[in-house]
Amino acid sequence: MATAGKVIKCKAAVAWEAGKPLSMEEVEDAPPQAMEVRDKILYTALCHTDVYFWEANGQTPVFPRILGHEAGGIVESVGEGVTELVPGDHVLPVFTGECKECAHCMSEESNLCDLLRINVDRGVMIDDGQSRFTIDGKPIFHFLGTSTFSEYTVIHVGCVAKIDPEAPLDKVCLLSCGISTGLGATLNVTKPKKGMTVAIFGLGAVGLAAMEGARMSGASRIIGVDLNPAKHEQAKKFGCTDFVNPKDHTKPVQEVIVEMTDGGVNRAVECTGNADAMISAFECVHDGWGVAHKEAVFKTHPMNFLNERTLRGTFFGNYKPRTGLPGVVDMYMRKELELDKFITHSLPFSQINTAFDLMLRGEGLRCVIRSEE
Amino acid sequence: MATAGKVIKCKAAVAWEAGKPLTMEEVEVAPPQAMEVRVKILFTSLCHTDVYFWEAKGQIPMFPRIFGHEAGGIVESVGEGVTDVAPGDHVLPVFTGECKECPHCKSAESNMCDLLRINTDRGVMIGDGKSRFSIGGKPIYHFVGTSTFSEYTVMHVGCVAKINPEAPLDKVCVLSCGISTGLGASINVAKPPKGSTVAIFGLGAVGLAAAEGARIAGASRIIGVDLNAVRFEEARKFGCTEFVNPKDHTKPVQQVLADMTNGGVDRSVECTGNVNAMIQAFECVHDGWGVAVLVGVPHKDAEFKTHPMNFLNERTLKGTFFGNFKPRTDLPNVVEMYMKKELEVEKFITHSVPFSEINTAFDLMAKGEGIRCIIRMDN
Repeated sequence: MATAGKVIKCKAAVAWEAGKPLSMEEVEDAPPQAMEVRDKILYTALCHTDVYFWEANGQTPVFPRILGHEAGGIVESVGEGVTELVPGDHVLPVFTGECKECAHCMSEESNLCDLLRINVDRGVMIDDGQSRFTIDGKPIFHFLGTSTFSEYTVIHVGCVAKIDPEAPLDKVCLLSCGISTGLGATLNVTKPKKGMTVAIFGLGAVGLAAMEGARMSGASRIIGVDLNPAKHEQAKKFGCTDFVNPKDHTKPVQEVIVEMTDGGVNRAVECTGNADAMISAFECVHDGWGVAHKEAVFKTHPMNFLNERTLRGTFFGNYKPRTGLPGVVDMYMRKELELDKFITHSLPFSQINTAFDLMLRGEGLRCVIRSEE
Repeated sequence: MATAGKVIKCKAAVAWEAGKPLTMEEVEVAPPQAMEVRVKILFTSLCHTDVYFWEAKGQIPMFPRIFGHEAGGIVESVGEGVTDVAPGDHVLPVFTGECKECPHCKSAESNMCDLLRINTDRGVMIGDGKSRFSIGGKPIYHFVGTSTFSEYTVMHVGCVAKINPEAPLDKVCVLSCGISTGLGASINVAKPPKGSTVAIFGLGAVGLAAAEGARIAGASRIIGVDLNAVRFEEARKFGCTEFVNPKDHTKPVQQVLADMTNGGVDRSVECTGNVNAMIQAFECVHDGWGVAVLVGVPHKDAEFKTHPMNFLNERTLKGTFFGNFKPRTDLPNVVEMYMKKELEVEKFITHSVPFSEINTAFDLMAKGEGIRCIIRMDN
C-alpha cells in the first residue's frame, strides 16, 4: 500500500483526562516496527474495561491515551519479521497476546502468554517502550496494546487474530473481547453436557455470552441470577429458562438454587466479579468460575471442595488469541453462535461519547462504533 | 455354610469408652438382613479415622462401639436380595458405599452415593436402624457400616467390593481406605501428565499413596512437603525426588515451591487437612494450567481463603473423597493394579500384629511410627 512505511495521519478519539469525554483529534500513527502490524480499524465496540480505565478510579493515571480493544479491521502494513499476516488480511485485535513460544503458549491448557499477557499499565509498545501515536510530536499512550478508538493503530503481531475474510467485521468485532470471554468460560472451561443444568451469575454481555455457550452446549435448564429484574426478559433470547433475583429471597441464593434443582446445578459461571456472588456460584454447584475485584477474598468451607466440587477460573474464556479466535468466528459463520442479538446500538465514530453514556446508564449490551459514517 | 442364618459368636475388640484401650470380648453377630452380607474378616488395619472417633474429642460419644474399616475378608453368608456377592467371595469392606441407583452412582463424575455415603454418626444398620452386634443381649454400635475389628461383621452389600480371589488379603486390605484415597487423588483427580511436577503436602499414608500415584502417572519431579523431616527418607520409596520443610524457610512455602519450579508446580495434592496447607497447596500451582486437589479433612470451622485472582489466572481447585473411586465398581481394578505390579502396596505395611495385640497398633499410631499396621485376625 502507498502508506506502508510512512506515518499515517488519521482521526482518533483521545482521552486527555480521566472521566472527561473523548475528543476527536488528528493523530500521527508511526509505521509498525519489528513484529508489529498497523491495522485500519473498521468497527470497534465499547467494553466495561475501557470505561474502567477511562474513569481511572484508584489507578495510576496514564493519559492522554487512546482506549478501545474490542474491534475488527484490516491489516494496512506489517513490520519486519511478520510472516503470518499480510496487508489486506481481516483481523481482530486482542487485548492479550500469544507469542507462540513461551511455556504458556506451548501448554495446551493455558492462554496466559508470558510475553503478551494483558498489561493495563503499559501505555507503550513492548519492544522499544515508545508510543506509535503522536500529536504534534507529543506521544499519546496506547491501551492494552490495541487502542482501537483510532482509524489506524499499531499492534504487536501476537495480539492480532487473522480471521475468515468473509466474516462481517461489524458483527464479529465483538468476539475480540467480552463475548469470547463468556462463551469460552462455558464451552472451554465448564463444558456442560447435553441436558445439564447451568447457573449464570450476572447477566451483562459476558454473562449472556456464557449463557449463549450453555444454550449451544444443549443445557436443558439455564438459570440466570441477577439483582436487576429488567435483565430477565432480555436473557430469554439467550436461552434463560429460569430467573432468580437474590433480592426476592431471604435465604442465601445458593440455597434457593439447590432447592430448585434438587441438590445443585451441574455447572455455574460467575460473571459479576463480586466475591459474594463467586462464593454463591461455587456453593450452589459442581463447577464455578469468576471475575474478581482487587481486594476481594474468596472464602468458603473447604468441605465444599472435598464434596467433589471443582472451582476453576478463566481468563478470556481460555481462548488462545491467535489460535483460538478464528475458530470462534467460524462458529458464527456456521450459525451455531448468534451474535446479532448482542448488538443493541450502533453509532458513527464521531458520536463515540454516546456509547460511554449508554454504558454508564446500563442501557443495551454492545454498541458498535463505525469508523465510516 | 453351617453358620448361615444363625447368630455367630466371635471375638471382637470393643471400645467401651472414648480413648480407653479396646477390650477383647465375645460378641454375638446376627445374620445379615435384606441387602446385607456377613463377612469373616481376615486382616484389618488401623487408620487415623478409627483413632479420631475412638478419641471422640468434641463429638457426641457413641459407645460401646466396634471400630475398624480398612480390611479384607471372605463372605460368610448373604441376606435376602443380595445377588452381587456369594459366600466364599473375597471382599474389601468400604466405609462409604455405592447403591448403584442414585444420581451420584449414575453420574460418571461422583462417588458420593446418596444412600450409603459415609456417615460417622450412625451406629446401626441402615435397613432397620438396629445393630447386628450384641453382648448379653445389649447392642454394640457399628462404625461407618464396617466394624472390622471383629472376626465377623455385617455390612450393607453396597459397602462391599468383590475382588480377585488370588489377591493376598493381608496386603490388599490397605486398599479399602487410605491408600486408595491418596492414590485416586493423584490418578483420578490431579491426573499429572507424564514428565510433570507434583507437590504432595503431608507424607502420612495418604500422602505417600498420592506420591505413589504421581510416580505411577509418570511425574518426573515429586516434591514432598512435611513439617517432619524424618518422613523424607521413607518418602523416597514412594517416588519423592525432593523435599521441602516449611520450617526451613522464612518465605511462604508456596513461594519456595514456585521458585524451585519456575513459576509453580503442575499439580499439588493436599493430604493434611490443615487449612493453611490447603491454601498453600492451591497457591503453589502454576498459573495457566495448575490443578490443586484437596484430600485432607478440615476442622469444622476452617475457612479456605484466597484472592479470587488466583482462580482467574487459570488455576483449578478440586476436592476429592475416597480418591473419586466408586467402591464396588472401581476398587476391584485398584486390586488389579497391584496384581499387575503397577501399584506397590508392601512398602506401606511397616508393622503386623495379632488381633490380641490390637492396642499396640493404636500406640504405634499415637507415636507416629510406621505407616500401616496390619492386624491378623487368626494370630
